[in-house]
This record gives sequence, structure tokens and C-alpha cells, in this order.
Amino acid sequence: MRRKRMTDHPVAGALFVLPFFLVVVAFLVVPLGYAFWLSLSSRSLALGERFTGFDNYVRAFSDPVLLDGFLRVVVFGAVQIPVMLGIALAGALTLDAVTTRFAIAFRLIAFMPYAVPAVLGALMWGFLYSRTFGPFADLPTVVGGEPFDFFSTDLLLLSLGNIVTWAWTGYNMIVLYSALQAVPREMYEAALLDGATQVQIALRVKVPVIRQAIALAAIFTVIGTMQFFVEPYVMARFAPQISAGYTPNLYAYNQAFAYSDFHYSAAISFALGFVVFVAAYAFVLLTRKRRQS
Amino acid sequence: MLNRLRTFVAAVGLLAVAGCTGDPEDGTDGAGGPVRVTVWAWYPEFKGVVEAFNASHDDIQVDWTNVGTGPDQYAKLKTAFTAGTGAPDVAMVEFQQIPTFLILDALVDMGQYGAGEDEDLYAEWAWQQATDGDKVYAIPVDGGPMALMYRKDLFDQHGIPVPATWAEYAAAAEKMKAADPDAYIASFGSDGGWLNGLMWQAGCRPYGYSLTEARDRVKIDLTNPDCEKVVEFYGDLVERDLMATDPFFTADATAALDSGKYWTWAAAGWTPGYVAGSLKNTAGKWAVAPMPQWAEGEDAQGDWGGSTFTVTTQAKNPEAATVVARELFGTSEEAWDIGLNKAFLYPLVKDVASDPAFTGKAYEFFNGQKVNEIFVPVSEKLGDFDYTPFQDFVFGDLLDRCAEATSGTREWDTVLDATQDNVVDYAKKQGFTVE
Amino acid sequence: MNPARTRVPHLVMAAGMLYFLVPLLWIAIAATKSQPDLLSTPALWFADFNLFTNLAQLFREDGGVYGDWLVNTAVYSGVSAVGATLLAALAGYGLARFSFPGKRFFETALLGMIMVPATALVLPTYLILSNIGIVNTMWAVILPSLLSPFGTYLVRVYVTESVPEELLDAARLDRASELRIFWQVVVPMIRPVLVTVFLFTLVATWNNYFLPLVMLSDADLFPLTVGLTTWFNTGQQEAGTRVLFNLVITGSLLAIVPLVIAFVLLQRFWRSGAATGALR
Repeated sequence: MRRKRMTDHPVAGALFVLPFFLVVVAFLVVPLGYAFWLSLSSRSLALGERFTGFDNYVRAFSDPVLLDGFLRVVVFGAVQIPVMLGIALAGALTLDAVTTRFAIAFRLIAFMPYAVPAVLGALMWGFLYSRTFGPFADLPTVVGGEPFDFFSTDLLLLSLGNIVTWAWTGYNMIVLYSALQAVPREMYEAALLDGATQVQIALRVKVPVIRQAIALAAIFTVIGTMQFFVEPYVMARFAPQISAGYTPNLYAYNQAFAYSDFHYSAAISFALGFVVFVAAYAFVLLTRKRRQS
Repeated sequence: MLNRLRTFVAAVGLLAVAGCTGDPEDGTDGAGGPVRVTVWAWYPEFKGVVEAFNASHDDIQVDWTNVGTGPDQYAKLKTAFTAGTGAPDVAMVEFQQIPTFLILDALVDMGQYGAGEDEDLYAEWAWQQATDGDKVYAIPVDGGPMALMYRKDLFDQHGIPVPATWAEYAAAAEKMKAADPDAYIASFGSDGGWLNGLMWQAGCRPYGYSLTEARDRVKIDLTNPDCEKVVEFYGDLVERDLMATDPFFTADATAALDSGKYWTWAAAGWTPGYVAGSLKNTAGKWAVAPMPQWAEGEDAQGDWGGSTFTVTTQAKNPEAATVVARELFGTSEEAWDIGLNKAFLYPLVKDVASDPAFTGKAYEFFNGQKVNEIFVPVSEKLGDFDYTPFQDFVFGDLLDRCAEATSGTREWDTVLDATQDNVVDYAKKQGFTVE
Repeated sequence: MNPARTRVPHLVMAAGMLYFLVPLLWIAIAATKSQPDLLSTPALWFADFNLFTNLAQLFREDGGVYGDWLVNTAVYSGVSAVGATLLAALAGYGLARFSFPGKRFFETALLGMIMVPATALVLPTYLILSNIGIVNTMWAVILPSLLSPFGTYLVRVYVTESVPEELLDAARLDRASELRIFWQVVVPMIRPVLVTVFLFTLVATWNNYFLPLVMLSDADLFPLTVGLTTWFNTGQQEAGTRVLFNLVITGSLLAIVPLVIAFVLLQRFWRSGAATGALR
């Protein structure tokens, strides 16, 4: 019955979708197709351009610089994503349970970094990490320790992770908080009557209910992390260890804009996009399956 | 590339909107008015230079855009050449980048429009880098002959002699550390041009390339002893904690120069302007001395930085563009007045550099010292130096390996070996024969 | 809850506030300092108050180009956000309440589109747009920014949840045209999600760096992110270096303030919209 009603206006429906469809074709399908096309040929500086099929992909998947960068991003994500989402979830649960004015202020302030452009945020942290005049480097000296060198090899990934965590925790917190707000109170009133504590309710009732929201936030964070670019790009001016291939996306950028190898750059982008796509899609399917079972 | 793109776009059916934008091919506005020439450059205070040019030329007018500094502008040039459209008529290009753009077929030989006449105007080393045989690919503007900037007050106070050799420099570094454990002789600043200047001074000539001789032949010789000694000397200072590792021009490095944390800086002819503008606390306490030498009594010199004007192969009117490249600075008194006194460039025009107005200029920042008396002879002393057509890769890899060494994951004496291997490997993949 | 039980959460929130606020406090304080004070005075406390000197210099530097950047940023993000929201509203509604050939496929593909790394598209888009001759114009930034698969997805979910088909059928019985139904019935009902999509795309364009960096070469066309980074990089170069840290910092502060205000003011509108995307 319902399905039949929807088919009553196929032309109108298609027309509603058409403008968006055109934008998708022009700025997603065509560029992707073109990037793929580019990646199938090579242009070496001395020899010029020629069709090379999948050579660029063979090169990409055996390029130690690219693989190192990929591994670095995976390691980075494996630590940063759980930490950030953990904090965001804890914050969201706190906001859901505590409704004082202070909590409202916390919600607003936590969200503010989202409004700071990533390049400017990274520049800002670059100054804040400064040994000579940033406020944090000398913290350990209070207890007699060595001052932090946030740009040292040991701390660099942590420093970058902090920038990302600072920028995106509040955003994820709000998304999860919004999901919690949409949960009907009846779902845990019974538990309250049984004498469960707020913490127990949070962990046993609320978290399972917003599992999907958490999964979605995780997917978007994974996608963002795999594309990690702006923070290392800016931070490279402060920390010379950030090499040309520090992250895959930075490598793709340098291949194109520093080394003029647009073909290999397209192949890296395309391969990266493919890996991200497959990973994200697998994640979606996995979480869907779990929900069904 | 462009043709491929056309085919592709046509295949998708988007070419309908493409078309000529209606610009006349020669760059005139079509009504017999002046030829308009577009220029990309990032010199400070350049607006006045453009106005001076436009005021003194009726037939040619310059439209100037600052699209970003150094790498930012190069990235845009490279995209423009890949796309086949979008480049300016005239572009500011640093010396080490000239072969890079040459091999992209991006630069016009201005010799065919008479630019060869300018040879005697410019410092010899600069002209050599800007040209290839009788082909003129770039018109030199400014350079960076190197000299040693040092904290005269601190050296005097602790009775440390100004180093004349690098061995004395290392000895000065030890004495400095004894006098002030928090101080460093300088910073190993992670800067490709700076390290290159030091290697140049050490007699190291690691690269060779000539487009006219052979497009696909390049010389890479980073492991020769003259190059190795520089990296090992500096690596040793870093390992002994006598030299810091802050990248130049960061807030940390700038603050360190201005707080007594660094006692020297192997700097360049453009540095006086830079330091006078950004260091306030230590103004008047610095002085300039000639670069320490590798062997006593030598007079070897190097250069750090410097730039040129080039005419791009997308120029609508390359002849008019050549006039612009030659005359924006060239011998224009007005332009050089701005260049020297507001933008603090080191002039590569010989007459401007040797003019008493320049050499006799006393700098308050250097307590009245006429520092150009040191820089000018350096520029005159500089010899030939070549770059590769993929210098971004070379500097990038060299600095990445140095960063590994400063962070302890690599031995300093393997830095150049590793860079040599990576660069040769890269060059071969790009289709070059490596010598 | 009694006060003792909320003490721990409040302490935790206070720590969080400090963490999120300190960098913003720093930039607000740093913007009041002159270049030398910036490098030599304690980071989190005031030195001589130079905010107005900095602001005056900010709007004077390079012939007042900062003002252009501010206007450009507002135009790019405003136009992109309105356009993207409109497209998402139309398409999201079309997908949620109509059936047509290819819809299933398109819906499945939508999920995939969300996952395409945006930076991978910039370079090929540049090469295509340069062939059409619109790089280095505002359209090169605005047109690609109209693409918001996530926005469309959000609207689709929200319409499915909150616009009953019976209502649409009733309107159709009154012989209202489909477009009129959309404007007069659907749009008012989905306002929260539209505000959400609008703000998301507004922020995305306001904060975008890579796309305008590649597309634009004329400094007069730059948005704030590209312009300020250009100034920052000016201090990193060799010949002819100028250090503009104080301008970069003051300019950044001024670039952040409008968005922070917009979010604080509009937050109650968009939160209910954000929940929909999170629910599915």
C-alpha cells in the first residue's frame, strides 16, 4: 500500500533529486573518474607522459614511504580515536545526567573548538607548544622534570593527537549528547526505580541504546583520520621530523605540488580513498550485522 | 596532459561550457592600449616597485599578484603548467628552482628578446645560475651572500675570539657552553637553502644539470668529502649539545636569537633587514664577521637564498614580458631604493651593490657597523653552483634525513649516504641517467 | 541529585572547560600583544595592551587585503551553505518520499559518497575547472562546496521520521503542486535539520583550506584561512622575510569569533537536527 503511493509521482521525485544529482556528477563522479584516468598514466620528468596502466598502483603499494605513512596514521588512529570518543562519550553521558547551568556552559565551551578552522587551530597549537614562550612546555619543571619538547620525535604524534582531540571532542560529544536526548526516559526509569546508580544506567542502558550513534561517529572519525593532512602540514613548519611522506595525504600533496607528479599523486589519493571506503563500508556492514543479530 | 584532459572531459560531455574566454592572444586590451603583463611575486613592499615601473612605461603595464610565498607560489605554478593554463606572464622564482621549472618547459629563453645584453649588469655567479649557454631563463634580482652574525657583546664579555675557521667556531662553542650552559652557538635550522649555502662554502658541488646539453642527464654527488665534512661538523655540534635544532623563523628560533640563547647565526645578505625588523631586545649587540673558513687563510664563500624573474611559456606576449622581467628592478633607481631600504634585499646588480650608498650604510642593529662591506665582497667571490631539476625532492630528503639524525634515529655520518641513495633512486625513476 | 553526587562530574567538567578554553584564551590574550611582547612575555597573561594597534595594522597590511578576506569568507561560506542546504533539502525529501527508477542505487551510493575523502577530489576538480576557465574565481570555491552528501542523508532520515505521508496526501487532495507542498508543508516541518545542514556546510566552507588554496591564486579572492596562512608563511622564507606573527594571531581571533557567536546563538536550533543523523 505504502510503496504504491510513493510510485505515484516518479517524475516529481526524480526532479527533486536532480539538482543534487548534477552536483554529484560534476564534482564527485567526474573528478573521481578523472583522477582514476590520470593515475593510469605516468609522467616522469625526463621522459614525459605515457600510459602505464596500473604501474602507479604497484608503485604505491610497494612504496616504503607511503606504507610507513599509512602505518603511522593507523597507529595514530588506534590511540587517538578511542581516547577522543571515550572522552566525548563520557562528556555526553555527564551532560545527559547533570543539567545545571554549569553543564550548559561546559557544553558550549567544549563545542567552541569546532568553530576554529583546522589550519588556524594547528597554527595556534604550534605557538602554544613553543618551548620558549608557550605556557605548557615548562610544566614538568614545577616538579623538577625536564621541560616538554612537544616537537620532539617522542612527543610529536601525541602533540598532533592533542590538536585533533581538542578540535573534535566537543563536536562528537554534542552528536552523542543529541542522540542521548532522543532516548525516551521511560527506557531507564524502571532501572532507576530498581535502585540502579546513574553510572550503571549510563553504561548498561544508555550506551547500548546509542550504539549506532557511536558507530557513526567512529566511522566519520576514521575517515577523517585516514585523510590526516592539515595538522601535520602546518606543524611541519615547527617540527622538521614531519617528512614529506608523514601521512599518505601529505605525501599525495607533496607528490603533486612539490614534485609535479600529478599522476602518482592521483594514484595515491585514489588508493587511499579506496582503502578508506572499503574500511568504512566494512565497518558499517559489521555494525549493521551486530544490530540485527 | 591537456589533450588527455580534453578528450576525457569531452567524453563525459562537459566541454559544451568550455570555450575561449575572449582574451586577445597578445595581452593587449585590443584597442591599441598598453600591453598588460601579469606578474607573480612575493617581495615585500613590491607594490611601489610595480608603480614605479608602470609610471615609467607607457606601452607596457604590470598587473601584480602575490599568490603566496615560495612553495605556495611554486605549487600554483606547477598546477598551472599541469593544467596548461593559469600561469602568469612573469613569475618570481628562486635560483634553486630554475632547473625545476625548466624541465617542466615552463620558462621562456629571454635571450631571443635581447636579455643577453644584461650579462655584465649582474653578479657572475647569479648570471651563471640564471642562464644556460646563451639562453637566458631568468633575470637575477636579489641574493644571499653568507656571513657570520654573532653577539659581539657576549663574545667580548667572555673573551672569546671571533672564529676565523670552523675549528675555532667549534672551540668558541665549547667556551660559550662553559660560560652559559643554557646557551647554544647557533641553531641547526632545518633549512635546505641554508645547509646548501654552507655546503657551497665548503667547496661541495653536489649537483650538475644542463637542459641544453642533455635533458635526461643529472649529476648527484652528495657523498664527496667536501659535502660530508659540513654535515659531520654540524652533526657533531648538535650531538654535543652545543648547537640547538629549532627550525629557523619559528617563534622559538626568533625568540632564542633575541634572548641570548643563540650566540651566532650563519646568515645572509638579506638578514640585516630581517633581524632589524623582528629582534628588539638585542638590537645593537650583534655584529657581522666573514664566514669561518675550512682551512686557515682561505676565502671560500657561499650563498643562501636569492631570486629572479622568469618569463613563463604561458606568457601571452613574451617579448613584453621580457621587458618587465628585465626592468622591474634592473637598473631602476626607484625600484632599488624600495628594494634596499624597505624590502632589505641584497642586490645582484653589481653597480647597486658596490654603490657607496649601499656599502657605506651603517646599521643601528649592528651598532653602526657597515655590514655590507662584508657581504659585497662575498658575492663577488662566489663561483659556479648548479642545482638539480628536482631540488624540492633533494632538499626535502636531505632535511628529512637530518631530522632523523637530530632526533637520534640515524647516525650523522649516514645522512648524506642515505640522501644520495634516495635521490639517485628518485632520479632514475624519473628517467634520468645519473652521473 | 544531591550536591555531593554531582561534585565529581562538575570537577571533571571544570577540567574539560579549562582544556577547551585555554587555547582560545591564549589567542585572545596574544592578540593584544605587540610582536616583541608576543615573544618575550608570559603566554597566558597580558603585556602592554596593543589590540587596537594590531587591529589597525591588520586592516592596513598589504593594502587592507584582510578586509577582502573577511568578506570573501562570508560570501563563500554563506552562498555555499545556502546552496548546499537547498540541494540537500530537495534531494533528501525526494529520496525519502518518492520512488523512481534508480533510487535504490542512488541511496546506496549516497552512503559511499559520504566516505569519499574530500581532499582526493580537489586536484582533479582543479584540472577540470581550469579547462572550463573558472579557476581563480569565486565559483571555483563555491560550486564544489555545494556537494554535501551527508546533508542529503540527514534530510532524508529526518523526513522519513517526521513528515507523515498522510499529511502529503492530504495536501495533494487539495490539488497543491508538489513544489508548493515542499515549500509550505515540508520545509517548515524539517527546519531543525535544515539549520543543522546549513551550519555544517557553513563551517565546512568557512574552515576549508585545501580547496581555496588550490583553486585561487589572486590574494584578493582568498578566504581567511588561506590568507592568514600566506602571511604566516611569509615569515618562513629567506629573502625578504617579514615576521607577521601578531597579525596572524589577531587575524585568527577575528576569524574565529563570528562562527563561535553563530554557534552559541543557534545551538538550540541545530541540536535537534544533529540527533537524526546520529540515530540511524
